[in-house]
Amino acid sequence: MGITRRDFIKNSSILTTAFVVGFNIPIKGKAAAILKNNILEPNAFVQIDKDNSITFILGQAEMGQGAYSGLAQCIADELDAKWDEIVFKAAPVAPVYNKPGSTIMITGGSGTIRYHQENVRKVGAVIRLMLKKAAAKRWKVSLSDISTKDSYVTNTKTNEKFAYGDLVDDIQKMKLPNDVKLKNPKEYRLMGKPLKRHPIEVQEKITGKGIFGIDVRLENQKYAALIHPQVFGAKIKSYDDSVAKTMAGVLKIKQLPNNTIAVIAEHWWQAKQAVDTIVVQWDTGEFVKTSTADLKKEYRSYFEKDIHSMRKDGDTKKAIHNASHVVEAEYYFPFLAHAPMEPINCTVYHDKDKALLVVGSQMQNLSRDKCAQILEIEPQKIEYHNTYLGSSFGRRGAVNFDFIIDASYVAKNEPWPVMTLWTREDDIKMANYRPMAVSRAKMAVDNDGNITAFESDIVNQSITQGTIFEKFMFKNGIDKTQREGLENHPYKVTSHNLRAFCPQSPIPVLWLRSVGHTISAPIVENIIDQAAVASKIDPMDFRIKNLQDARFINLLKNVAKQSNWYKREKNSGYGVAIAKSFGSIVAYVVKVKLKEKDFKVEKVWCAVDCGYSFNPLNVENQIISSVNFTLGYVKYAEITIKDGAAEQNNFYDYNVARISDAPDSINVEIINSGEKIGGIGEPGVPPMFAAVINALYDVTGKRYTSFPIKLG
Amino acid sequence: MNYIIINNKKIELNNVSEDTPVLWVLRDHLNLTGTKFGCGVGMCGACTVLVDGVATRGCQTLLSEVKEKKITTIENSEDKEMNILRMHWKEEDVAQCGYCQPGQIMNATGLLKENSKPSEEDILDAMDGNICRCGTYNRIKTAIFKASKDI
Ligand code: FES
Ligand code: FES
Repeated sequence: MGITRRDFIKNSSILTTAFVVGFNIPIKGKAAAILKNNILEPNAFVQIDKDNSITFILGQAEMGQGAYSGLAQCIADELDAKWDEIVFKAAPVAPVYNKPGSTIMITGGSGTIRYHQENVRKVGAVIRLMLKKAAAKRWKVSLSDISTKDSYVTNTKTNEKFAYGDLVDDIQKMKLPNDVKLKNPKEYRLMGKPLKRHPIEVQEKITGKGIFGIDVRLENQKYAALIHPQVFGAKIKSYDDSVAKTMAGVLKIKQLPNNTIAVIAEHWWQAKQAVDTIVVQWDTGEFVKTSTADLKKEYRSYFEKDIHSMRKDGDTKKAIHNASHVVEAEYYFPFLAHAPMEPINCTVYHDKDKALLVVGSQMQNLSRDKCAQILEIEPQKIEYHNTYLGSSFGRRGAVNFDFIIDASYVAKNEPWPVMTLWTREDDIKMANYRPMAVSRAKMAVDNDGNITAFESDIVNQSITQGTIFEKFMFKNGIDKTQREGLENHPYKVTSHNLRAFCPQSPIPVLWLRSVGHTISAPIVENIIDQAAVASKIDPMDFRIKNLQDARFINLLKNVAKQSNWYKREKNSGYGVAIAKSFGSIVAYVVKVKLKEKDFKVEKVWCAVDCGYSFNPLNVENQIISSVNFTLGYVKYAEITIKDGAAEQNNFYDYNVARISDAPDSINVEIINSGEKIGGIGEPGVPPMFAAVINALYDVTGKRYTSFPIKLG
Repeated sequence: MNYIIINNKKIELNNVSEDTPVLWVLRDHLNLTGTKFGCGVGMCGACTVLVDGVATRGCQTLLSEVKEKKITTIENSEDKEMNILRMHWKEEDVAQCGYCQPGQIMNATGLLKENSKPSEEDILDAMDGNICRCGTYNRIKTAIFKASKDI
């Protein structure tokens, strides 16, 4: 490439240096492939240097959820490595980091711990066993005379020690043992403990030294600002850049093949100022006539049509006819922007048949492949670096790769590395929204308070249709994200008629933290609440009566106790909700107070069952995060469409939760049920929506079923 | 000659247009990338620095307005209030993605310099302009409150 990598990365502690010693630890299913091709994939997860420094190479993206620290906790425990001293590095693109059983590197579905803990623990355990064997050989003692702790091996008879680094040469020659055992919970030193984030990560984040995508600084790097279409699907007719061309620092102005104009300049602020002077003539197409009201009307019209069946069992018509109580409601969920804290960016250096790609992405290999496709080079010729992600919530795992495409077109055939940086407005207006949904639900209850029918229609755009995920996630006209939480709700119900439809529009939609559950949990948990009230049964008791899984019932009893549910304070609203998503169950009771035309969620009581909590403190932190994150969507955020474009621009008209919205207290209890391990980044979000609307009913007597909630 | 004082170091800036926001002077001209871009319109606080000890939005302040003034950024390792806050930030395990945290810490530093014993209401008032999309607000509140006890 003419310049070495060290020259490229001037400002980065996580992207530097070559490896000193590497181990290839083939994991399930990979060993055979690796041996067959006779390639040792480098440094899969752990690197031990001779000076006893230990580096973990992690394929999961760190975007706030604690992926690095959480995986490190697992490896370090099995390896008996000294916690404070281990270092992390983001993995390059390699199949060994793929989600087990898939061909993609992906951080999503709250999957870091649940999909990867076992494999990374095995790596730690294998290396520890090898170190013990190497030491036993040197000391000529049996394995039972060897112990390990804090990156040292000790001869328990003589108290002699080897640093792990001293044994690197020995273990490199060794065959991988196949008699490795993972620790049992009694032997855990780190796992299951409420460890704070790893101190090195924390230090980087409180001193401004952590490198996010936006902080990448390469030799001779330039910056690009863009003009995107405002009306979805609009095309550029012509543009006038006569002023921009003359402005200080401007190096190049170009139209990209995706109806975007880019200004490349020495500094981003110069590019941005130049962009603001460019006048574009757009061909806005048909969609310019569309507004949110039109979409709502269109969506609703599908209720009357023969749409796709998601679940049909029993005879709902008959059950409704014979019911003691029937409740029904219509729901509106707006388009939502993720608005990750760090504006979207991506840096590309295209050098003939090679390239460098530096970005914070939730899908590394697919991002790399998309960049390669646009640069028209081999994916393997791209050197890929993942940075910290300044939060994401799904945005940096865009199925249409919008920001990778922009940055790749910008840098294509240019002589410099270019960082393409979007404004906040670019992000809010570029879509990739949580799909807008219109839904209706009906529930019937018999004389004894048993649920006899559940009908629901859900209409929203498909996230996966037409993308590479279509073949796994879109079937019979229904998107998997419409099904989740709805067709497999936890209640005993004797008949179902659940239907779905996916309309189409030029607005790109995408998974937002908790995805389909952000829609299904409010529907299920609100209609249940209405059914309880109609049946004159306490909403807590009604749920418990109609649930079948003991794990759910346990959690409800837990939050009932925590919140003193049966002795609720007057003049406040209390709401309960529970939902399972991403393998974990979360229950809430929230207490809401009305304040003039506004309301405040004052207290939150939460119970979580994620099977086994590897780090209770991080579970608590993720619940706090989920609560505050959701409150912004409950109270403020909504993308509306007018004249074919998003009406919102930035945090002044697309509001999110602020510190004054945070509840006074959020109490979290964790139940280790010993069931299959679930995730924690997302499961706290879905039931929060429902708990708040149920609490508002409790205090106002009004059912709020349109988000965001506007009182009055 | 144009100069500003950043973290107690005098920095000459002769080739930077005076109407460049301080945020971009720091990030793109001086390579001090700890100060973050979040919204560019004064609505998120990610770009907060101290100008003569007062919390100020870097995206809304032009270079011409800070000439010869003292700017403190998150890279500063000597400021007393900042270091006490950092200690409690660690203690409370505040940071998640970390992107907003430089702005949060700088804004809290400005608050404690002005009012070393803030009430809960003072904290909410002062910090309401700083968005954290990871929702670490409850931890931030506690960290600031505890830091104020140590000052
Ligand atoms: S970037 Fe300055 S307040 Fe948001
Ligand atoms: S820690 Fe992620 S935005 Fe605040």
